[in-house]
Amino acid sequence: MRLALAVASLVVMVGSGAVVYKETQASWQDHQRAYFAQAKAQAKSDAERASLSVKTPKIEQTIVTAFGTSRVERCESCHIASDDPRFASAEEPLKTHPYSAAMGDTYKDGRWERKHKFSEFGCTSCHDGQGRGLTKADAHGEDEYWPTPMLGYVAQADWKKENAAHLHGAEFIQANCAQCHKDRNFAGTAIVARGRELFFKEGCFGCHRIQGISSGTIGPDLTEVGKERKLDYLWGHIVDPRAYTPTSVMPQFKLSDDDKKALVIFLKSRRGSSPSESSVDQYKVEASNTAPVPDSVAEVATAITAAKTPAERGRQLIEGYACLSCHKLDDHDGGISPDLTHEGLMRDRSWLMSHFQNPRSQITDSNMPTFALPEKDFDDMSAYLMTRTTMPQATTPAQTFQTLCARCHGEKGNGQGPNSIYLDPAPRDLTRAEFMSTKPQLRLITSIHDGVAGTSMPPWGKTLTDAQIQGVLDYVWAAYVKEKPHQIKARKLPDANPVAMSADSIHRGESIFLQRCTGCHGRKADGHGPNSIDITPRPRNLTNTAFVQSVSDRRLFESIEYGVDGTAMPSWIDYGLSQNDVGDIVNFIRSLNKPGK
Amino acid sequence: MGMTATETRSTEPQIGRRRFLAWLSGLGIAGSAALGSLATFFFIRPRTTYGQPNRFKIGRPDEFPSGSRIAIDPKRVCIVREGNKVAAISTTCTHLGCIIAPSATGFQCPCHGSRFDVDGNVTGGPAPKALAWYAVTLTPSGELEVDKDNEIQTGTYLSV
Repeated sequence: MRLALAVASLVVMVGSGAVVYKETQASWQDHQRAYFAQAKAQAKSDAERASLSVKTPKIEQTIVTAFGTSRVERCESCHIASDDPRFASAEEPLKTHPYSAAMGDTYKDGRWERKHKFSEFGCTSCHDGQGRGLTKADAHGEDEYWPTPMLGYVAQADWKKENAAHLHGAEFIQANCAQCHKDRNFAGTAIVARGRELFFKEGCFGCHRIQGISSGTIGPDLTEVGKERKLDYLWGHIVDPRAYTPTSVMPQFKLSDDDKKALVIFLKSRRGSSPSESSVDQYKVEASNTAPVPDSVAEVATAITAAKTPAERGRQLIEGYACLSCHKLDDHDGGISPDLTHEGLMRDRSWLMSHFQNPRSQITDSNMPTFALPEKDFDDMSAYLMTRTTMPQATTPAQTFQTLCARCHGEKGNGQGPNSIYLDPAPRDLTRAEFMSTKPQLRLITSIHDGVAGTSMPPWGKTLTDAQIQGVLDYVWAAYVKEKPHQIKARKLPDANPVAMSADSIHRGESIFLQRCTGCHGRKADGHGPNSIDITPRPRNLTNTAFVQSVSDRRLFESIEYGVDGTAMPSWIDYGLSQNDVGDIVNFIRSLNKPGK
Repeated sequence: MGMTATETRSTEPQIGRRRFLAWLSGLGIAGSAALGSLATFFFIRPRTTYGQPNRFKIGRPDEFPSGSRIAIDPKRVCIVREGNKVAAISTTCTHLGCIIAPSATGFQCPCHGSRFDVDGNVTGGPAPKALAWYAVTLTPSGELEVDKDNEIQTGTYLSV
């Protein structure tokens, strides 16, 4: 009993002792004591020495009110020599903050004077971090839950190693310089300006809105992205958009590390409200920015207005602007979107114009943003694309396939070319023999010659000769399909839908569709039914008007009644659908895609 | 004598152990109490408060020309410079705490008309005592630092 009491009381005593020790021996106190001792050694007068002798460690606290909500900062509790020029060559944390003429510090009478005085600006308005923190980890924002770790200095524990290696360096602080120095030509924020240029050059503005800068709507609004996201996310999301957001549709752009860094710094500088502006100022800016047109055109206006012909102006717009960060043109390949090299042979001008104004008017599930450019720019760009009428050099069918087809259908013909993940519907897997060998040659030739309406498969008829098309198809057969065409037994199919189009028929078709088809094709008939994610090729989007209109009744009947070999579409006559039922379904599908819709 | 020695020897181990443990417990409890109250004291005493700091920099001496009396209202001090001597005088009225302003004859309070001479001594009005003078020091970076926690005798200047 006594032993237990003795042990317990000693344990409590040691515990209390630990608390007292911890309270009196914090590391900031050690740093201050070291500072006092070193300052005393360098003191020039007895009075100074005496005043240093009586100093005891105290929390050095500044309250900065000039930048947003008041910032409580205790950084100088450790960095007590930050404004003491005698400690220029000391070790951190007792090192003088460097003086920089570039930052506006002036040297006169043998002394530096700071432009950004610490008493006025504090530390966190430039560096970020947690001003209140009194331990290194807390103050620098090393804790992964702290939203603003020190810029370019701290990598939090949950950051990916491969990202963190790129996120080090004083240049990241420019994101904070830009909060007050908003002038785009300001020398101290050159990297922010470069990032802004890339934001336009790489086409980011097409999808993303930043208030006062761009008006894209496909991707998230980036007006406040610098406040919401840390460097790690910004970098990682640009490197691989699907690393953090598996469902992201953002293309993976080919960028150099320097360009990625510039974009990250630019995005980090987007905080929405700026502490240097009042809310009235911000409102005025917002109110004056009524035009949604981005200033991208203004930025290259000199080069573009110098262009003599519309086609030349269009070429400069296409080459200088966002297009080539996704599309291919001659040797420049963005690796995301279709090849524009022979565009003048594939499309006509009205198709191009309507596609510029709304890409989804031609390709229902296109991921191309609707760029908010003036009509004249679209006109000139169409004019330039219509001049792209050079036929590809006649080569062997294998070479033709690898140059023209492989970007989408893949080098191995498996439909997994570099562009394929950005295309909807996805490129056909040419190695799937069950599909290929059961389709009539004529249909395959037509798909190449005329393209597939409503999809990214362009008409190659004017780009390739008939012989070349046949050659490519033969090559596909020999290299990928590797099976002989099956002879399909003659099927009893109507050439035109025998069931007359009527409200009744549509209604019957709809109810059968809802019972039988929605599992894969979805309740909206858009091909996104619950089963669709497990199926390749994906179920057809039956609201793709251009596609549905290009398909004959006969083919719809064949696909529904006999299924589509090589896909998940079953043969519905085996499940008891009569020809009249199929006719009703066809009427229902047609009713979703009325001409002129 | 010998008997006593034997007695002590025979009883020592038993009582010694109990005694020792009792002493140890006593020491532990007393020590815990002392250290506990010390810890409580550290805990209760504020390390810092969220007001504006009482020690702050006000700029270089050459920002205050000779003969000037510049009031810094947010900090509530007036920097007085005469020749190469600098001092910081409180601009909080000793009556009811209004911010007073330098005037031709010294300082004047707008609230109830207290008047002070150039050194902050009361010359009229309800103010009960003279304005405080604060210690001014020159930091290594060449700036003046006022410490409002450190009141000094009226008329003490810092030579710069």
